[in-house]
Amino acid sequence: MSYITIKDVHKRFVRRGQWTEALSNIQLDIEKGSFVSFIGPSGCGKSTLLRIVGGLMEAEEGEIAIGGKSPQELLKAKQFGFVPQSPALFPWRTVLQNMNIPFEVNRQKVFNSEEQGDPISLLKAVGLGDFVHAYPKELSGGMKQRVGIARAFATGAPILLMDEPFSALDEITKEVLMHQLKQIWEEHKKTVLFVTHNIHEAVYLSDKVVVMSARPGRVSRVIDINLERPRDEAVIGTPIFNDYITELRESLRERWG
Amino acid sequence: MEKSTETVTWGVRVRNATGSVMLPLMTFVILFAAWELIVRFMDVQAVILPAPSVIFAELFTSFSFYLPHIGVTFYEAMVGFVIGTVLALIGGVVMSQSRLLERMLLPVAVLAHVTPIVVIAPLFMIWFGFGTFPKILVAAIISFFPMLINSTTGFRSVDESNLEYMRSLHASRWEIFFKLSLPGSLPFLFSAARTCISMSVIGAVVGEMSGASKGLGNVVMVSANYLQMDRMFAAIFLLALMGILLTNAVRVVEKRFLAWHSSGH
Repeated sequence: MSYITIKDVHKRFVRRGQWTEALSNIQLDIEKGSFVSFIGPSGCGKSTLLRIVGGLMEAEEGEIAIGGKSPQELLKAKQFGFVPQSPALFPWRTVLQNMNIPFEVNRQKVFNSEEQGDPISLLKAVGLGDFVHAYPKELSGGMKQRVGIARAFATGAPILLMDEPFSALDEITKEVLMHQLKQIWEEHKKTVLFVTHNIHEAVYLSDKVVVMSARPGRVSRVIDINLERPRDEAVIGTPIFNDYITELRESLRERWG
Repeated sequence: MEKSTETVTWGVRVRNATGSVMLPLMTFVILFAAWELIVRFMDVQAVILPAPSVIFAELFTSFSFYLPHIGVTFYEAMVGFVIGTVLALIGGVVMSQSRLLERMLLPVAVLAHVTPIVVIAPLFMIWFGFGTFPKILVAAIISFFPMLINSTTGFRSVDESNLEYMRSLHASRWEIFFKLSLPGSLPFLFSAARTCISMSVIGAVVGEMSGASKGLGNVVMVSANYLQMDRMFAAIFLLALMGILLTNAVRVVEKRFLAWHSSGH
């Protein structure tokens, strides 16, 4: 059953006085509670697509329905948990106060309390139990990004939009965060749209990987990742895992020429 | 663990206090000592340059004479500062929200800023008389511009990513302003407030010098006419002291509010 339905979506930008097609004829179905990664070269429009699904941008053509509603309706009802590339923490607020931002704004719309996570235990789950009252300047880049992720899971928003949350981090931190994200996600089972540059991340985390190509941005392949859930680190390096890596790498290479 | 960090911060605090109070104080002591020695040994006449000891003696023996003048100048400067900065903040909000209004209003503000305030002050005296009002007006005008520019810049310099995050929660314009733009621009606002508060003292004095019967600016003018150099210097010292104390008062408030900001330390 499709939860997010993307149909015939086109998006154009004016670049150097000319219309450029950022997204061309996007078709996609995403199931509720699944983890979907978007991977592709820079300029393939994956971040743009994420923002269109999240109601932050509008497409010129096409239709997006999420449980029968438009992205704008869901945006107004605070149904998205957004995790941008830079962690979007307010420096004058402590970690816990930053976790509370979603509850303080747009207050007439309340989150589904059944889907909410406890902020403190989520912070503990990402290893920040001792930093609840710390200010962002006291945290490393990886720690800040963890707060952003914990915040998204704490709100009770059913759809989480993550725009390359790990791309500015070093390899080791990236690895740790990847496992923590998978752990939290398996507990909370939100629908996650995850934009990434990293093949390894995409395979390990996802139920479905959407491969995109650039100029114009389009979906070139959708690969289902049929690895068992719950997953653990033991799956990394197994033949089936490596097959997915190879498949993904080849479909990316085809598009890059 | 906790105890040791406490002692460390205590030690740092003592060292900071020594650095920020004792060292400048020492410089002033040396400066005044040199001044005193030069006046005494080179036999400088008191009508040219009185010795610091004479100035301080005058200050302490006739302090009751200075007190009302301090009060008047302080009052004019403070009221002018509050009016000027509050209006500038309103202007900053308006200009940061609309480029059109910025283009319309900014030239007027720039014109008011580049016109030397010294030539406008006598005009206010003619219009509004010898009372405190024209001085307050000069102080307000002089402290308006730095706050206007800094608040406009501050309200605009919102982090794009934070702004997008607020939009993803469908935050209203007001929520974005009060929860994001305003707290984010506090470093800009405080840095302007430090400039404005010392400017407002200058404004009050400039107002007083173009016609007044009270205030430290008036004391300077009158004592200059009578060559009462000790009195003139005493008033100058008091004005300098007022500027220092007010700037530091802003700094104290800033430190409380901006613990999260690096320049707040």
